Amino acid sequence: MIDQFAVFTPAGNLLYGYNSLNKKFSETQINRFVSEFISQPVKDVTSKFPIISTSDTSYMYHETKQPHLFLVVSFASSESIQLTAEAESVVVLATKLWESLGLNEVILDNISGKGKKNVHNFRFITEGASDQISKFGSYFEVKYDEMKKTSQQKGKKHTANYNKQVPVSAANKGKQSSKGKKENSQIKARKWGRDGLLEETAAMDESLDFSEGNRTASPPIAIGSDLESDMRNGSQFGKQNDKGEFLINEIDELLASNKEKSKAKPTTSSPFSFLQKHILGNKTISEEDLKTVLDSLKQKLISKNVAPEVADHLCNQVSKDLIGSKTENWTSVDQTARESLQKCLSSILTPSVSVDLLHEIQKRINKKDSSGLNDPYVFSVVGVNGVGKSTNLSKLAFWLLKNNLKVLIVACDTFRSGAVEQLRVHVENLAQLTDHNHVRGTKNRRGKTGNEYVELFEGGYGGSNLVTKIAKQAIKYAKTEHFDVVLMDTAGRRHNDATLMSPLKSFAEQANPDKIIMVGEALVGTDSVQQAHNFNQAFGKERNLDFFIISKCDTVGELLGTMVNMVYATSIPILFIGVGQTYTDLRTLSVEWAVNSLLS
Amino acid sequence: MLSTPILLACIIVMISAAFVLIVQKTSANVIPGASKYTNRAPTFIIAGLPQTGKTALFNLLTTDSVKPSVMSQEPNVAEDYMLPTSHKNFKFKLIDFPGHDKFRSELLQTIKDSSQLKGLIYVIDSTINPKELVSTAELLYEILSVTELRPDGVDILLACNKSESFVARPPSKIKGALEKEITEIMKRKAKSLKANSKKSLSDDANDDDDDEVAVLQQNSAGFEFDRIDGNVDAKEGSVLKNDIDKWECWIDERAMN
Repeated sequence: MIDQFAVFTPAGNLLYGYNSLNKKFSETQINRFVSEFISQPVKDVTSKFPIISTSDTSYMYHETKQPHLFLVVSFASSESIQLTAEAESVVVLATKLWESLGLNEVILDNISGKGKKNVHNFRFITEGASDQISKFGSYFEVKYDEMKKTSQQKGKKHTANYNKQVPVSAANKGKQSSKGKKENSQIKARKWGRDGLLEETAAMDESLDFSEGNRTASPPIAIGSDLESDMRNGSQFGKQNDKGEFLINEIDELLASNKEKSKAKPTTSSPFSFLQKHILGNKTISEEDLKTVLDSLKQKLISKNVAPEVADHLCNQVSKDLIGSKTENWTSVDQTARESLQKCLSSILTPSVSVDLLHEIQKRINKKDSSGLNDPYVFSVVGVNGVGKSTNLSKLAFWLLKNNLKVLIVACDTFRSGAVEQLRVHVENLAQLTDHNHVRGTKNRRGKTGNEYVELFEGGYGGSNLVTKIAKQAIKYAKTEHFDVVLMDTAGRRHNDATLMSPLKSFAEQANPDKIIMVGEALVGTDSVQQAHNFNQAFGKERNLDFFIISKCDTVGELLGTMVNMVYATSIPILFIGVGQTYTDLRTLSVEWAVNSLLS
Repeated sequence: MLSTPILLACIIVMISAAFVLIVQKTSANVIPGASKYTNRAPTFIIAGLPQTGKTALFNLLTTDSVKPSVMSQEPNVAEDYMLPTSHKNFKFKLIDFPGHDKFRSELLQTIKDSSQLKGLIYVIDSTINPKELVSTAELLYEILSVTELRPDGVDILLACNKSESFVARPPSKIKGALEKEITEIMKRKAKSLKANSKKSLSDDANDDDDDEVAVLQQNSAGFEFDRIDGNVDAKEGSVLKNDIDKWECWIDERAMN
C-alpha cells in the first residue's frame, strides 16, 4: 500500500494531496522528497518512473512538461517489487485521470495569463479548476480503493486456488472486507513505527501477520500495472460495489475517451523557422533543433575533461529543460541551450548544504564536558596515491593555525616509507611559520615534533590494525592536551582494489572522524567518476564522504571537468581547491568561475 | 519610381539596424556593464530559508487565501502585482524565491539584476531558538552584502512569521540575535579562505569582493542594522492566521515612493 500521493508544481503549490490512511496529508514528507530531488541528480532509471529513496521512504515520481508538474507517490522504503509495481500503477492512473479531466489545459491557460484576474492583478494556477481538482480527488480515491481491492482479491484467488470464472460469493466478499480492514490496521501500526511515534516491538506479531498477508497477495504483475486489464476488471467491480458503481463507470469512460483524443498532434513548420532559430528567437524548440547544438556542446564538455556519461547526462538535462519551450526574442537556439547548460552546471556544482567549518569547530570547542575538556574536531583525508593528500592536509592545517586553533597532525599512513618523515617536514615548516623562534628539529615540551600550536602524532609503520590504533590514541591524546583540531593523513590507495579499500570502513567506524575529505586531482580525467564513487561507497551505508578538495587546479587551466565528474558521481560538494604549491594556495570554490571556465 | 541606389541604401540601412539590435541583445551577457540590469520593473522579492512560509506568504498576498504548499524549486512570480490599498494603483513585480541552498546564487543574481528593487521581504521562522539563527543570519548577510553595494541600499523587512505559535519570539529579540550572529559571521568571514579569483575577469571580480567586505565593515562594536544604508524593520505576522497587515503596510509604504 502506498503512503501518500501528491500533485504539485515546481513553484511549490500543492494541487492535490492524498494520504492513504485518511490522516492529514503530511507536507513534510513531500518536502523531504523535493529537497532530495534538488540536491542529487537522478541517474539510472530502472523502473518505468524514476525513484528516489531516503532512509525510510521511497518516492516514485513523474514529471510532466506541459504544464510543469510533479506527481509523486511515496511508499515505505523496501525492496518489495510489489510496492513498486503498485506505486507505478498509481502514477499511471493519476496521470491519465489528470489528463482526461482537462486540468492541464486550465493550468496552461492560467499560466499564460488568460482569464480574469483578481484584485491583485493575479491569477492563481488552478483558478477555476477547483471543481475538476475535487473531481480528480474523488475519482482517484475510488479508483485507488478499487485497485487495492483488486490486488487483494487476486491474491486471495491465487492462494486459495480459486478458479477465475467462479463468481465471488457474498461470504467471500465479507471475508475480504474484514481482511482489508485488518490489513489496514496492520499497516497503520507499521507506519507509526517508521515515524518513530510508536516503538515497533508493540506491533511485532501483527507485523508478522502482515508479512504473511503480503505473501498471499498477488505477484507484482497481477496488481494491475496494466491499466487495460484494470479497466476491464473495473467494470466488474463497479457492479459489485454498491457505492462506487456509477463513479467507476464514469471514470472508465473518461479514460477511454481520452485515449482517442491524445493521439494526433500535428507539428507545423513555419517558413521563418530558419530565421527564428538563429536570429529572431521566439521559436518553439524541437528535438532536431537541439541535436546539433547539443552535440557541439557535448564535444566541448568532453574536451574540458568532463566524462562522457556526465556530458550525456547534462545534455539530456538541457534537452529535457528546453524541448517544447520557446526561445526568447532575438535569441538563437544555440544561445538558449548554452544558458540552460550553464544553469545545469552551476546547479550541480553548488553545494546543497552550507558548510561553515570555522563555525562548526567553534561550536565543538565551546562544548566542554565536566572536566573542562572538549572533544577535538577530527578531519581525515583519503584519496588515490599521489593526489596531494599530505600537501592539502598541511594547507588546511596552515589555515586553521592562522585562525588560532591548535592542530594535531596524525600520521595514519603507516604503509608508504617516508610518509611520516614527510609529515614531519610539514609540521616543522608550519611550526616555523606560526612561531619564528622555533628551531627546526627541536622537540616541544611534550617531547614531540612541533611546537605549542601544531604537533605531529606518529606511531611508526605497520599494518592496518595499527592505523585505527593510532587514530584512536591520537584523538584521546588531543583531548587531554587541549588540541582543537585533529588532521589525519591516510595512506593513498587504488580505488578499484577491494583489499586496499576495505580497511577504510573500519577506520571510519573506529576513528569516526567529523569530516572525511577526499582529495581528488584535477588532472585525472574520466576515471574521476569511478574514484569518487568507490571512495564514497567504501565507508559503508551509514557513512559518506563529506566533501572534496580538488588539488592541482593550477595545472589544468580551463579543463576543470574533473570537478563536475566527482560531484555528479556522488553529489558531495567541493569545499576547497588547491591552486598552487605554497601553504596559502588553498581556495574555496567559486562556482561562477568554474562554470565560466568550463563553457569558455 | 525609386532608383536602384536608393533602394540599395534603404536595404543596407535596414540590415545594419537589425544587426545592431541583435548585437545589443546578445552582447548583454557577454560584455559586462553594457546592460547591467535585466529586470527594470519595480520589484519586491520574498526570500528566506526553506520552511519559513515564503510560498504561503506569496499565495496569501496574491490570492488572499492560504493555500497548501510544498518546497519550491523555482521562483513564483506575479507580474504587475497590485495591492488594493495603494492609492495610485501602483503595480510592481513580486518574486518569491525558493529557499534551498542550491538556489541561493540565483537569488543573489536576481537581486543584482533588478534595477528598481523596492524592498526585500526576508521571511523568518520566529519559532526558531535565537541561538540557532546562524543559517538565517548567514543568508541575510549574503543578501546584505549584495544590496549594500547600491548607493542607498535596499529596505529589508524581517518578516517574523508563525507568530501564532506560543514559542514565537518577539521581532525585536530576533533582530538583536541576528545582529549578534552577523557580527560573528563577519569575524569568521574575515578569517576564511578567499574564493579563487576569476582569472578571466580578475580585476572586476576582485573589486566586487573587496567592496562587499568593506561595505559591511563597521566599527569594533559589532554589526548593527541601524548603521547600514537600507532600512531594516522587524515585524511579526502569521501567514497561517492571515495576519499580515503589518507587512502589507510595509510593502505599501515602499510602493508609494
